[in-house]
This record gives sequence, structure tokens and C-alpha cells, in this order.
Amino acid sequence: MKLLEIKELLEAEVVSGEDNLDMEVNLGCAADLMSDILAYGKPDSILLTGLMNLQVINTANISDIKAICFVRGKKPDENIIKAARNNNLIVLLTNLPMFETCGRLYKKGLKGLGYLGLDM
Amino acid sequence: MDNIRKTTKIQELTYELKIKDVMSKNVETVSSKMPVSSLRDILYKKRISGIPIVNDDKLVGIISIEDFITCLEHGEMDALIEDKMTKNIQSLYADELLVHAVIKFEKYGFGRFPVISRKDKKLVGIITKSDIIKGVLKKLETAYLDEEERRYRASHIFNDVVADELFFKFQYFVEGKNFDKAGEAATGLKKTLYRLGLSPEIVRRTAISTYEAEINIVAFTKGGQIIAYLEPHQIKIVITDKGPGIPDIKKAMKPGFSTAPGWVRELGFGAGMGLPNIKKFADKMTLRSKVEKGTHLEIIIKLSDYRKED
Amino acid sequence: MINLKDIVQKLGLKVVTGDIDREVSAGYASDLLSDVIANAQKDNIWITLQTHVNIVAVANLQELAGIILVNGRQPEKATLQKAEQENIPLLLTELPTFEIVGKLYELGIHGNRG
Repeated sequence: MKLLEIKELLEAEVVSGEDNLDMEVNLGCAADLMSDILAYGKPDSILLTGLMNLQVINTANISDIKAICFVRGKKPDENIIKAARNNNLIVLLTNLPMFETCGRLYKKGLKGLGYLGLDM
Repeated sequence: MDNIRKTTKIQELTYELKIKDVMSKNVETVSSKMPVSSLRDILYKKRISGIPIVNDDKLVGIISIEDFITCLEHGEMDALIEDKMTKNIQSLYADELLVHAVIKFEKYGFGRFPVISRKDKKLVGIITKSDIIKGVLKKLETAYLDEEERRYRASHIFNDVVADELFFKFQYFVEGKNFDKAGEAATGLKKTLYRLGLSPEIVRRTAISTYEAEINIVAFTKGGQIIAYLEPHQIKIVITDKGPGIPDIKKAMKPGFSTAPGWVRELGFGAGMGLPNIKKFADKMTLRSKVEKGTHLEIIIKLSDYRKED
Repeated sequence: MINLKDIVQKLGLKVVTGDIDREVSAGYASDLLSDVIANAQKDNIWITLQTHVNIVAVANLQELAGIILVNGRQPEKATLQKAEQENIPLLLTELPTFEIVGKLYELGIHGNRG
């Protein structure tokens, strides 16, 4: 799914990576705890989170994830936007809650990781 | 473990490649006003099994070798193509993901689909199952060559140096309780290893393990340090801190077990996944701890010819 | 409104504790307890990967319809005991948040309005 389509579905604002909305992501990965993203996130995922701090940028960076969407109307401060831009991340902001965000994207065909089970 | 989640590299590629990347672009087309007999030469000489029918750049139908043979059997070689072609055509857009083509082939059982451009609906190519296979194989080959190239670069560093024992050492100091700086060591190490030409997968596993360890130092201890040793066949990361230490290591390793205070949980960590995550991404992990003295964690990531089963 | 019993059945959730014969108003997905306290609403079904005992207290406080633990995570012992005591439905799935929410959405459960 193209990020541009995601932006429209979520009525989102773009604060970093405006020129890269043509990029495609294949998976949705939703969590407020970064260890979950670190464990299961894939490079072609969009990271959906309501957590707003620098660790989200670090987590995306470390997991090779290129796109983040902050949910629940969270606004990033300058440091976060700067870090995202420095690392060529695409960052969207939506006022929707996490539930509505996941629901809309899933309904339009964005996939999740499937059954995880306990693999740790 | 989690077999269902695992997708093969080939499945991944069908999500990466687009139809335009693998389709045949030089398409033979015929006008619908021509007689069926005019197909003979094209089908025979070009050894193709189906031809899109195009009038004024617009795709109006498709005719297959089976349709041609039926006409031959019934002595209808003079019939117009437009009366014998399939008009209700299924086509694909050039910018669609390859996986859509795979799904369509399964669904309809056709031998080929014409490919049109999304913008002006003009015919731009044709795709068969063998185009898909060739395209995926070609991509696999280049991915493999890229990987080889990286491996060469990584080993190259060591080839140029002569010593009895050899490693590169990268050292990072980590402050306790300072969440603003958490992640600097892991992202720094990641950048360094990537620049040295290690494979993205190795770099990613190293970075994730280091990051979780770094978060632990920040969240739980008075501070510590991370030393990464890049050796010819492995990366060894040694993480030490100044306490307070872990009273029960077995318990600490249990997924979901956490002693994290509320503030750590609200910052997005502390759900008892850190150490299990490290174990998941490392090839080997050793954890020793003395209450009040501190904790010593050693992580090994092997460099090549080794894929960790996750 | 949709009954929790139907959701459990349609999505194959494992019921660990609680009476599931109750109505669900909407869904709330979050792993941050402070956020759930601030924003979840009565009769919401809560999707989280937190397994800590405090989730039961939060569900109780907000009068949530139940908690779905994702990623195949198991509740801690204390969480289980407390949920039993308070009669909070504790449900398990091996799917991650993104997908279980997607499936709930397809059943007609949406996020809270405004």
C-alpha cells in the first residue's frame, strides 16, 4: 500500500519525508511498546504507535523501518522531527485512535504479520 | 516455533516487484478486423500462445492458440477475429505488485494477462507465468550478488591486516536514567557496522540486541558501558553496568517478566521483552549478575555462512 | 453494540477468565496504561500486549468489557488471579494488535468517536 493512500485513509499530516509518499509498505505493525516492534517489525512495515519520544525514531532506525505513523493526535517536538529527517524516515501524524487506524488500514488490505504465538 | 509467520524470500519478492518489472514489453498485437487466418504466422513464428487484440491503441480482446485451433477445426479461418476473441478480458495494471498477478493466475487459470497502464489504459505489455518465474529468479540472483559483495567487503577489512589476533573495538558509555540519550550507542554501532560493509541482516540483529541492552542500562542501572568487538567471524558485544544487579536471572529471562517501574513502561519499554528479544536475535548470549555489584552480558552474532533459525 | 460472546466465537479467542455475556461498545487499542485511563470508554474492548496486573485495575476503573492480550502473550499469575476476582474477561489471541483490531473492525466494532 502506498504511503500516500495511507495518509489519505488516516487523514494524516506529513512532518517528514514529504517527497517519499510514493513508497510502498506491505505490513502494519502496531504497538506502544518498542520491544514488540524490535521483535517483530520488518523493514517493509509501517510502525503505528501512540508513543511519542525519541525512542520511536531509534527503534525504526534500528529495525530498518522507513515509515512511522503516530496516532492519537500526538505531536512531535522539534528534536523528534529533526531526528526523523536526519534518518530519512517518513513520519505521519493522525488524530485517530490506534483502533480506528489499524481497522481502516486492515480493511483496505494492509497485512499484519499473522499468527505469532509464543516464540520466545 | 513460528512457522506460519515465516514467508519465503520468493513470497517477499512478489511483494517487492511490480508487474512492469517482469512483463514482456514487446507485444505482438492484431486488429480485431483481421481474419483469424492472419494469426497463423504470428502464433507459429513467434511461438507465442496468445495475442492481445488492439484497435486504435485500445485493448478490446485477447485470442489464444486454443481459439485458433478451434477455428481451424471448424474451418472458420476466414472469420473475423472480433467474432472469435475473448472480449471479457481480465487485465492487470503495470504498477501493481507482482503478488496481484500471482493471485489472478490462480483465480482464473488463464495462461496470460495483458498489462495496461493505469493512466491511459493503453496496452503496455503482457505477462505469463513464466515471466513471473524468470523475473523472480533474476531478482534473487541480484540479491545474492549484493549479499556476496557485502560479505567480500566485510572480510576484506581483515584480509588487509596481518596480526596474530585481530579485532576492532567500539566502545560506548551509557548514562543511567537518561532516556534522552538512550539509543545513541546502538544507533552509532549500527551506522559503523553498516559502513564497514556488513550485511544488513547482521547489522540489524546486532543493533536490536545492543539497543535492548542499552535500554536496560538506562532503565535499571546507575550507568555502564557497551563494547563491541568486530572479529573476523563474529561480533561480540560486552555490556557491563555498575549495579544494582539481577537477583534471579532465570526469572528475568522469562518473557513478560519485568520489574520495571511505571515511568519506564510509560516510555514504551519494561514489558519483560528486552532480554528475551536479545536471546531471539543473538546467536549466543551469556548473562551473569551479582546483586549490588552489577551485571555482565555477552552477546555473540556470527558473521557469515550461518543463518539463525528464528 | 455487539456481544462479546459472538466476538470470542468468531475470532477464536481463548477465554481465560470472566463472564463474556456482555455488550461491547467500541474498541480501544493501547499499551500505555495512562492513555487507557485517559481515553478508553465504558464497555470498550481493550487490546494490549501488557500482561501486568495493573491492566485489571484499569479495566475495572474504566468499566471495560474485556481485555484481549495479543501476540500469544500469557497473563502473569497475579493478573490472572485479579481478573478472576474482579470478573474481568481476559481473552487471548496469537495475532498481533494490528490484525486482531482489523478483524474486530470487520465485525463492525470501531474506535471511539471524537
